[in-house]
Amino acid sequence: MTAIALQPRVHPAVEGGLQLEVTNVSRETESIVSITMAAPEGGRLPSYVPGSHLVVQWGNGVNAYSLTGSGNAPSEYSISVLRVGEGAGGSLAMHRLCVGDRVYVARPRSAFAPASTATHHLLVAAGIGITPVLSHARAAVERDSTATMIYVHRPDAGAHVAEARELLGPGLIALVECTDRGSFQNVLAEALITQPVGTHLYVCGPVVFMDAVLEEARGHGWSSARLHSEAFGAAELDAGEPFTVHLARSGVRLEVPAGVSLLETLETAGQSIPNMCRKGICGECVLPVLRGAPQHRDLYLSEQEKAANNTMMSCVSRSNDPELELDL
Amino acid sequence: MPPAAGNGLEPGFRGVICVSFGSSDDTALPDTNGQPRYDLHFESATAESLSELKSVLSGSRVGVRLILAGPPTDIRAAAAAAADCGLLGEEVTLLPQETGPRFVYCPHCLTTTVDEAAGTEVKCQGCATTLTIADHFSRRRGAYLGYSAHAEEAA
Ligand code: FES
Repeated sequence: MTAIALQPRVHPAVEGGLQLEVTNVSRETESIVSITMAAPEGGRLPSYVPGSHLVVQWGNGVNAYSLTGSGNAPSEYSISVLRVGEGAGGSLAMHRLCVGDRVYVARPRSAFAPASTATHHLLVAAGIGITPVLSHARAAVERDSTATMIYVHRPDAGAHVAEARELLGPGLIALVECTDRGSFQNVLAEALITQPVGTHLYVCGPVVFMDAVLEEARGHGWSSARLHSEAFGAAELDAGEPFTVHLARSGVRLEVPAGVSLLETLETAGQSIPNMCRKGICGECVLPVLRGAPQHRDLYLSEQEKAANNTMMSCVSRSNDPELELDL
Repeated sequence: MPPAAGNGLEPGFRGVICVSFGSSDDTALPDTNGQPRYDLHFESATAESLSELKSVLSGSRVGVRLILAGPPTDIRAAAAAAADCGLLGEEVTLLPQETGPRFVYCPHCLTTTVDEAAGTEVKCQGCATTLTIADHFSRRRGAYLGYSAHAEEAA
C-alpha cells in the first residue's frame, strides 16, 4: 500500500526536515498504533531531548506526535498515534501507514524537557499521554537518574505497558498502574507527599486530567517551577475563555469570543496574519505581545519562550489576562 | 549548640525548616502560619553545619520551605547548599541580618572594630580610617572586611 507513500508537496511545517521510511508498525491497543521510522539509507538520526515531539506530514496536512525513545543518538524515531474518530483525518491517515512508506518529518522539537536540576522525576501519564512520559522514563534509566511513574489506563488497554514494566530497576524505581479513578486519587495523593526534595513532576494526558494533577500538587506545596505538563494537539483544545486584544499600533480593541481563535478574530477584522497549520505546530502565526500573559496552547514555542510571554501563536493560544496588548 | 543531624525531624517532613546563624535569635523568625516547623541554629555556615543542613533537607519531601536568617555570607552559603539538594529559589526565604553589632576588620592597622550602627561605613577604632564594610565575611576572624572608604580620593 504505497498510495500515500510520497506526499505530493512538502508542507512548510516540515520543510528542511527529514524524509524517513516506516520500518515498523505495531498495534498497541485497539485504537493506538506505534510507528517506527528510520532514514531510508540507515544511520543516525538527530538526537532529541526527552519529551520532544515530531511533526509528521500526512497527505497535505501535518500533525505533531510525541517521540517515545530516550532521544540519545537514535537510529529510529518511534511515535504512537491514537485514532481519533472525527479528528482532522490525520490520525486515520497515520493508522494507514505501512512498512516501506515514506513520510516527511520536521526535526524533533523540545517543549517538555526534564529539568536539569531535578534529583528525581515523578512521571504521571493518562492514556496516550504515556508517549512523552515513556521517553522521560527511558532517559532517566539511560542517564543514571531516577524516576517514579504513575500510569492511568483502561483495563487491558494500556499502550506501552510492557515496555514501561521492562524499564523497572535502578532507574525507574516504581511503576504504579491505575485502571480506575479512585485508586489513582489515592496513589497520586500519596506520591505527592512522599517525593524527595529535588523531585520535579511531569504530567501528560487530557487537559482536565493534567489540570487536576497540577492543582493537587500545588495544594501539597509543589512550587510551579517543579511542575511540567504537555498538552496534546489541537483536538484536545477547549473553547477557552473570551478575552480582549488591544492592537497597540492601530489602537483597535477586539473581543475574542470563546470558541473563536485570536487568528480568526484578527482575520475577520481585516488583519492578514501569516499562517499555515492553524493548530499551533508550524510557528507561522507568531505575534509579538506587549502586555498581558498569553495562555500558551501551542506546540511550537519552547518552555522558556512561553515563560517570556512576549510572543504567542495566534491560531491556538488565548489569554490568561482579561486583555492582551499586541504589537500590531 | 547545633542539634544532632536530622534529630527531631520527622521522616518525610514537608513543613518549614527555619535555620538561624550566628547571633540571630530564633524568635526573630517569622510565624509559619500554622505549618509544622523545624528549627536549627548554627554559629556559622561551616562545612560541618552545611552538611548537617543538607542531611536534614534530604530527609524532607517536596513541599518543604526553608527560611534562612543570619549574616548574609552564612545564609548565602546555606542557600547554595539548599540548591544543591534540589530546593528552588522560590522555596527559600533569605532573611539577611543587617542589624546588630558586627565586627569589622581593618586591613590597614589590623584592628577589629565593633560596628553598632548597621550602616555601610564605620570609623576604625585603631587608625581612624573610614572603612566601607564589604560583603566579605572572614570566618577565621569572625569579622567583615573593611576597606578604606575614600581611597580613590585620598590617592
Ligand atoms: S498557524 Fe501554525 S502555529 Fe499557528
